[in-house]
Amino acid sequence: MLETSVETYWEVYSFLMHEAELLDERREREWLDLCADEVEYLMPVRVNRERGEGEGFSEEAFFFQETRGSLELRVRRLETEYAWAEDPPSRTRHFVTNIRVAEGEEEDQVAVRSNLLLYRSRGSDPHYDLLSAERKDVLRKEDDQWKLRKRVILLDHSVLMTHNLSVFL
Amino acid sequence: MIGQPTGEKEIYDILQEAKRSLNEEGKLLSKVYNEPSIFDLEVKKIFSKTWIFLAHESEIPWSGDYVLRRIVDDSFIVTRDEDGEVHVLFNMCRHRGMQLCRSDAGNSSHFRCPYHGYTYQNTGKLNGVPFQKEAYGPEGLDKDEWAMTPAPKMGIYEGMIFASLNPDVQPLEEYIGDMGWYLDFYLKKSPAGMEVVGPPQRWVMPADWKLASENFIGDGYHTQSTHMSTIKAGIMRVKSPAYLKDGVQILAGMHGCLFMGFKPGSYFNYPQSIVDSMKESFDPDQIALLEENSVLPLNATIFPNTSLLHSSMSIEEGGKSVPYVTLRVWQPMGPGKMEIWSWCLVEKDASEEFKKASNRSYLSTFGASGTLEQDDAENWSGQTRVAAGEMSGQHYLNYGAGLGQVEPIPEGEWAGPGTAYPKNYVDFAQRHFWQTYFDHLLDSQNGS
Repeated sequence: MLETSVETYWEVYSFLMHEAELLDERREREWLDLCADEVEYLMPVRVNRERGEGEGFSEEAFFFQETRGSLELRVRRLETEYAWAEDPPSRTRHFVTNIRVAEGEEEDQVAVRSNLLLYRSRGSDPHYDLLSAERKDVLRKEDDQWKLRKRVILLDHSVLMTHNLSVFL
Repeated sequence: MIGQPTGEKEIYDILQEAKRSLNEEGKLLSKVYNEPSIFDLEVKKIFSKTWIFLAHESEIPWSGDYVLRRIVDDSFIVTRDEDGEVHVLFNMCRHRGMQLCRSDAGNSSHFRCPYHGYTYQNTGKLNGVPFQKEAYGPEGLDKDEWAMTPAPKMGIYEGMIFASLNPDVQPLEEYIGDMGWYLDFYLKKSPAGMEVVGPPQRWVMPADWKLASENFIGDGYHTQSTHMSTIKAGIMRVKSPAYLKDGVQILAGMHGCLFMGFKPGSYFNYPQSIVDSMKESFDPDQIALLEENSVLPLNATIFPNTSLLHSSMSIEEGGKSVPYVTLRVWQPMGPGKMEIWSWCLVEKDASEEFKKASNRSYLSTFGASGTLEQDDAENWSGQTRVAAGEMSGQHYLNYGAGLGQVEPIPEGEWAGPGTAYPKNYVDFAQRHFWQTYFDHLLDSQNGS
């Protein structure tokens, strides 16, 4: 059930694939350029709660609660020679599926939901980390280019099974 | 053979040697970083004997609130009952031992076991037993005898809820002891006290809990290398990478902390209202440290596995530093593996704007995604990995910084209790952590 034109869907699909490619190739600076100046990048803490109590996402505690300015600092840190957590770098693969595109709240925006499976391997450790999440994005068209206006990463974990979050989701 | 447990006698020999070399030569045997048989002893002689932090009171502010917490593998429900009393209850039904509560937080006056339906109040009292007369006769069950089992001891220190598996543990006040004076700088900056900002971040790290505890008790030295990226990127706004060279390292009871200087009058960039309330809340000696010495404690460890960090970092590009406090539990999950629990604490009476900014400053720099803690994780997991083999049993590490070089600040010249060293690039607090650790493991009176 397509809620937008095939053309829009295709553009959004291409945006998400391009973004995943940039992140997997560790081109964080180029990824940052896909973010709008007013980007909100959020990953709330999730608590294991009873069924009647909702999904357990906190409105106060976050793993990421970023603006363009704070994302800039994170990327700048990765660009130094001293970001030990990513040097040698993680080998990541962003698997993005189940893409659903709906009309946004404003005319130049779309609301996008996608599923993410992030594979992460480091060093020569035979173990790997997997993070699973749904992403709720708002994309906005600026000068004929889609930009990430908002991303909420909704984890399928109450306890993260990775030793740090030095990569973007 | 990899993973084969070492014999008991051999372990005691290793620990005796590790203790001797630390005390006499300032060297630590790296085997103690990651050894399965030592882990079993830690559970018996430390985690079953001392006070262990479980939760902050502000996580369960209302009657009926509860959170689920652990001491190693033992699950406890921390509840607040209808009268506002806090209880720490072993999360195991008295009937067939089913896990009673399976949600990590919530609000409930009762806990009902899914297995046969025993129902308990949030005080632990047994309330309901289905088909009681059919099962247990006309008199029914003695409800008092079959109440939930509370933790053998529980206590609250400045909002921090602790429990102990040891019924004979010393009183909590006494356990915290001299460290209390230093904890005030984290927990009593306002007479209103502290509150958590939401639930804790939790994540699993293939690193030994002790490495985090020893880092937080006093490692000022690592910052100029480990955290260089954040200095270069403008996250940590300091004049020089060696900003922590001068400071004061504290040994207080089994615990310790590290003081860091700030620009006189800047108070870590705390809003004026909190600077004012600090001065209201602190004793004259504490105020003198703030006003005359311009120092605040940066990191601290309460033995064995609770730590605090006080810092001030830039959130946005070019933005000014915003202060925060984070509280940690380094929860052991096995040898060389821990779950980290990380909270942000703020003054209850701070403005909403400050609370939000302080939390953002914290999660940008500490916690799983923190730009500083990411690199700590790299170190702690790397140390743990290379200590897993046999070589670590004959590989000694330098814990000698300051030995024979630096003397404690003479009595009368430092306002606080405990022992104070006038430097930060020293290993006094770290050696103190390991000495405390060996004392517990090798104490023959300390159970087995």
